[in-house]
Amino acid sequence: MKIEKYIPLLLLGLIVWAIGLDLFGYIIPSVLFYAIGLTFVCGLGVFIYKNSLLKYTMKRIGEAFFVIFLIMTATFLLLRTIPGGPFDEEKALPPEIKANIEKKYNLDQPLLTQYALYIGQVVRGDMGESFKYVGRSVTDIIKEALPPSLLLGFYALILAFLMGIPLGLFAAARHNTWIDNLCMGFAVSGIALPNFLVATLLVLFFSLKLQVLPAALWVTPWHYILPVIALGIRPAAFIARLTRSSVLDVIQSDYIRTAKAKGLSARKVLWKHVLKNSLLPVLTFSGPLAAGIMSGSFVIEFIFAIPGLGPHLISSVSNRDYPLILGLTLLYSIMLIFANLIVDLLYTFFDPRIKLS
Amino acid sequence: MILNKFLQYFVICLTLFSCQKKPSGEYGLDPSDTLRIAFGAEPPTLDWNKSSDTTSSSVIDNLMDGLVVFEYLDNKINLGAGLATNWEGSQKNTVWKFQIRKNVQWEDGQPFEPSQVIDGWQRLLDPKTASPYAYFLFGIQGAEDYNSGKIKDFSKVGVKLKGHELQVKLNNSMYFPYALTHTSTYPVRKDLIAKYGEDKWMQAGNFVGLGAYSLKRWDHDKVIILKANPKYYGTAPKTPNILGYIITDVNTQLNMFNAGQIDVLDSVPSVQLRELKKRSDFVEYGILSSYYFGFNTQIEPTNNPLVRRAIAHAIDRTKVTRMMAGGQKPMSGWIPEGILAHDPEAGLKFDPVKAKDLLKQAGYDESNPLPPIQLSFNTNQDHKRIIENVQSQIKKNLGVEIQVQNNEWKVYLGNLKAKPTQIYRMGWVADYPDPHNFYELMTSKSENNYTGWKSPKFDKAVVQAVSAPTDEQRLKYYKEASKLLLEEGVSVIPMFSGVAHKLIHPSVISYPMNPMSQRRLKNVSLQR
Repeated sequence: MKIEKYIPLLLLGLIVWAIGLDLFGYIIPSVLFYAIGLTFVCGLGVFIYKNSLLKYTMKRIGEAFFVIFLIMTATFLLLRTIPGGPFDEEKALPPEIKANIEKKYNLDQPLLTQYALYIGQVVRGDMGESFKYVGRSVTDIIKEALPPSLLLGFYALILAFLMGIPLGLFAAARHNTWIDNLCMGFAVSGIALPNFLVATLLVLFFSLKLQVLPAALWVTPWHYILPVIALGIRPAAFIARLTRSSVLDVIQSDYIRTAKAKGLSARKVLWKHVLKNSLLPVLTFSGPLAAGIMSGSFVIEFIFAIPGLGPHLISSVSNRDYPLILGLTLLYSIMLIFANLIVDLLYTFFDPRIKLS
Repeated sequence: MILNKFLQYFVICLTLFSCQKKPSGEYGLDPSDTLRIAFGAEPPTLDWNKSSDTTSSSVIDNLMDGLVVFEYLDNKINLGAGLATNWEGSQKNTVWKFQIRKNVQWEDGQPFEPSQVIDGWQRLLDPKTASPYAYFLFGIQGAEDYNSGKIKDFSKVGVKLKGHELQVKLNNSMYFPYALTHTSTYPVRKDLIAKYGEDKWMQAGNFVGLGAYSLKRWDHDKVIILKANPKYYGTAPKTPNILGYIITDVNTQLNMFNAGQIDVLDSVPSVQLRELKKRSDFVEYGILSSYYFGFNTQIEPTNNPLVRRAIAHAIDRTKVTRMMAGGQKPMSGWIPEGILAHDPEAGLKFDPVKAKDLLKQAGYDESNPLPPIQLSFNTNQDHKRIIENVQSQIKKNLGVEIQVQNNEWKVYLGNLKAKPTQIYRMGWVADYPDPHNFYELMTSKSENNYTGWKSPKFDKAVVQAVSAPTDEQRLKYYKEASKLLLEEGVSVIPMFSGVAHKLIHPSVISYPMNPMSQRRLKNVSLQR
């Protein structure tokens, strides 16, 4: 077996393993997270190499570093311009005490020195110590909060695909019938309803009325159900609409007519020929969607008290916890930039007509 | 191929051997002897020398004891013996002696030494610790200088130990034992800090305390579990386990309470107050806090005392508290009910006729109306409702236009320090149950006095009150201070005192409800 066929299998295996562990009540060991990351990067590397996309990728990564540097600088400077500092509290501190605290965190240094110190730290892989959570490094906070956020986002994404694609396909196949209307009615309401409202309604019905599911927390798979639905329903609706219009497009193309004319069954045409070719727009959408789910999950994390990154994103800003804000901004920008890069690379796989250079 | 196979086996082996079972929702605790509560935030730190917030102290208060502890009996707050069994002040309250308790053990079996109290204070005052609450000990001779680095030698600070007697020398007279109820002044174990490091000694597993409970588990942003400490010197806690979920949103807490996931709700969403009040498990009680408006006395037109008095007379506090429906008590004096020097007759009362008259005296009438006045507050639903109510009252009773502006909390604090608007809103929660804690706020030196109003006479009265030997004499000075602050200076308008609202499941007996909002859980019992 060739290596490029082996890696996706390994990756899939590892992911299934991790999900299995999580759903059967085991903590996913961090080594598994690293293994998944490593396999993914290896696979991507092999893919890039085989398709001679190396130069293109290097160029994009170079650009990404530049963008990330800009984001970091802008965030650093913007944070210092907003009024109110990290140690302004309701009970104002005596000046000598404030001086001690500012000295501890180098806030007494000139801005340029602070910036140089920070860049130096980041280059060494140290994101600094949180101002609010005494003695906890930003890296530790992210390490603890990232897994729940990743899992929540991943499950929601899976739900979105599992619900959205069949729904869209189904609606397109029964075009202009009541089934189509029903599916699209669901999709439109899924898009229109904000997720905090969906979450509240779900809790009201399943936790408080029927008392079958817990109202909050992120511990067992039972706890997962409501937040995953609340977060996944909107992207599912998007995907359903996207799939439907794309399928309708493809159905009218010549090669489908040919397929039908040569006597293939309707089912075979739909699943084999139409579906694969109509998934390209869905794929395009899935990069930003994944990033969007990750960064947009904070409301859901807040409502269900999930110990993810979202609550930190909000509270770090209101606490003026500079190192934590910077760390989270960096993390999100890296995720967004690389999600887009990966989607761009994968285009060439799904549509060989696309040439990247 | 071989490399890949190897890699696969390597990963699988690692995964297999590092598998750890996840805890259940109840963390393996028996619900029949576990009190389940919610903390409204992740405690920033459990290092009591460094913490400055209420969540941290509500955990620390269960893990540690101070030299002196609050006791709440029949709505009165007394000082009870903690790690000190006895204490007395000199005649002018400038020297205090504490007898330190013997035969106390830390939970790891080590004996508690009186020198650990001094270790704690030294660490609190050390500039390198950068503790926000170091000022709790600034009353001690030399403490402030040690904290600002002017003195390097701690032996010059006014604390001395003779066997089990601790002697403290103060700069001025003050009722010092109050400061020792606060978590920041608790004793520390230098050996543990050296062993685990400044940042790690308070993590679960490393933590060693001597309070009613010990720290069994602390998963950041998830849960804190406390277990009864068998070595505790006092009476053993009635509930063996405390399971504290960290839940930021009060609405989520309410959902969890309604779904039976937690037993107590320590604060309720204010918009649902009217509904929740009808429930049988709802309780409310007054706490030592105040809500007030401050004037910027340095800018036009609120630099004119007549204008300030006019505005103060134009506000009917009962209208505000009725609108809020939270049981808040209107308060025209500076000191909330429940502590010495509370006086319902103090301050300026609602009197629209007088208000108009005063405004006329200040030279403003229909032909020369008062220009619009800016009132600022920090963005918050409840503040917004209160301020809109006040805005319409002033408009109606005085014909004065109030322009409101709101800012996010830290922006607001920054603005207050730089240039406050003509009127601003603020609040104060007592650090200790003494009028001094409230009056000190408005002294010339106070960092919390944003009004720009400075009165040497007021400052003097506040200092004299502390050194007065009897309560009657103290009251005399506080009466004078109150008159200067509220009637002559009118730099602030007190509005009302605070209220705590809770939902408590009927199976939870004697849950702490006290005006200092302390959450010591050792007396809580469960009937399930």
